[in-house]
Amino acid sequence: MGGDLLVPVDDSVTLRKTVAHVANRGRDAPGRPTLHFVYPLSERLDAGEETTAAADAEELLARIEVWVEEDLGDDADQVAVETALIGSAEYLFNPGDYADVITEYAAERGIETVVLDPEFNPQGMAPLLPPLERELSSAGLDVDLAPVERPTRRNPLTRPAGLGQFVVLFCSTYAFYLVVGGTLSTFDLATGAVSATIVAGLLWRITTRGEVDLTSLAWRLARMTLYVPFLLWEIVKANFHIAYVVLHPRLPIDPRVVEFDAAVWSEMPATTLANSITLTPGTLTVDVSQRHFTVHSLTRSAREDLLDGGLERAVRFVFYGRSAARIATPRERGARTGEERTSAEETAPTEEAAVTEGENA
Amino acid sequence: MTPQEIAVAVLVAGGAFFALVAAVALLRLPDIYTRTHGASKSDTLGAGLALAAVALTFGAEISTVKAALLILFMFLTNPTAAHAIARAAADQGIDPWTVDEEGESE
Amino acid sequence: MSLVPDILLTGAGAFILVSLVIVFRVVRGPTMQDRVIAVNAIGTNIVVVLALVAAATGNRAALDIAIVYALLNFLMSIAISKFTVERGGVL
Repeated sequence: MGGDLLVPVDDSVTLRKTVAHVANRGRDAPGRPTLHFVYPLSERLDAGEETTAAADAEELLARIEVWVEEDLGDDADQVAVETALIGSAEYLFNPGDYADVITEYAAERGIETVVLDPEFNPQGMAPLLPPLERELSSAGLDVDLAPVERPTRRNPLTRPAGLGQFVVLFCSTYAFYLVVGGTLSTFDLATGAVSATIVAGLLWRITTRGEVDLTSLAWRLARMTLYVPFLLWEIVKANFHIAYVVLHPRLPIDPRVVEFDAAVWSEMPATTLANSITLTPGTLTVDVSQRHFTVHSLTRSAREDLLDGGLERAVRFVFYGRSAARIATPRERGARTGEERTSAEETAPTEEAAVTEGENA
Repeated sequence: MTPQEIAVAVLVAGGAFFALVAAVALLRLPDIYTRTHGASKSDTLGAGLALAAVALTFGAEISTVKAALLILFMFLTNPTAAHAIARAAADQGIDPWTVDEEGESE
Repeated sequence: MSLVPDILLTGAGAFILVSLVIVFRVVRGPTMQDRVIAVNAIGTNIVVVLALVAAATGNRAALDIAIVYALLNFLMSIAISKFTVERGGVL
């Protein structure tokens, strides 16, 4: 039906006003339009977080239904309201992913108009709205921005956080202060405590993500101490390799872009793996989107090492424990390298790389 | 020469060597991605070695901890910066150089 | 008299020379990212030089300067990368 409206929602400051706007619009539209409120919920692989996030989302959607009834009062029968969680089977990462699940939902139900909450930003990171708007309109949908006033605070940087985050941030700040100060005098202890309190008080909701579980943190640190020497050895070994390549008169390089899906999730492991890949000479992480790593490799042997997956196994060991370390190599899981192609198709990898970059642009 | 002097000399020389490798990589390699390889890794290892020499010179005191912090910091930030720069280049649509164009390089 | 300060100062000199070589890449470009990565490399070298001088002269305050410089150097790279990608949409 023409008058149906699709509204992606998350817990933003202007959500209430957006819902009011959409409700009014639905009432003024001819016929009995259906208002679809959808909550794009990214899949999280740490199960505990997922269930609470889903529960929060359900609650929010229930609240929206109540709001619509409130706003319409006696006219409530002029619109139908549907709510849904979408995207929960996928890991939503960039604006494109959000646009995909939203368009899919719209296509299934024949919805032509999307109304966006101007503060819609489920990830709380880089601006999502302008690219999302672009993607949705290029998918053939009418996109309207709900004309609601924004409060002065633009992006809410804060996330829900508990006492654990505060304590961890306070302790690390205090320790850093004392190390840089270099003494344990009363003055330093006092000013350090004050500074650390201020810093932690201001930033505890911003810096850390998720609940801090001290036992698992301790285990991770312990396994990290095993990982560091391994990484250092890899770095040194591979640095000699790159020194040889760079100083060689004929410069025997064969750069190529490799893509693979790493078997790591959440931010910290992905960051660690990306940084380790970059530090190990011959490979450079160009882009990480979801679990999809785009790696630029300098030489053939560096590529071989990468696809053997030693680093990935090590990172899994650090973050998920020893049993998780045994896993098929990226090569066996079907990484795209362009290596399996025949030499006649030598230009193919370049095109492949160009395609990757086109997606990012 | 005392063992400490030898160790410091070896570390500093190693650091300078890898810094040189990074510089040569920056000058010789054909495109932004390959240059980033050289700069991000060799420079990081070079800096790490030289800072280890610094830590060794100070012996057991708070400055050693600071030097160690500096090393840790280098190893965390340099690859991140390199990654950010490479990604910026990719986002701007700069194509990676491949062997096919060898004729025009060098 | 220990040779250590001399070794460290020689090392610092080497790092400075290497940085001068990298200036070529900063001037030459050709792309923005080439310059950023070169400036970043020079920044890393400057941090090392500061630390080496601090160790050679026993001037411990220079080590603090090195830490701050390293932080700023990292921020510089990230900020420029973010700026070029998002066209001014920093933060």
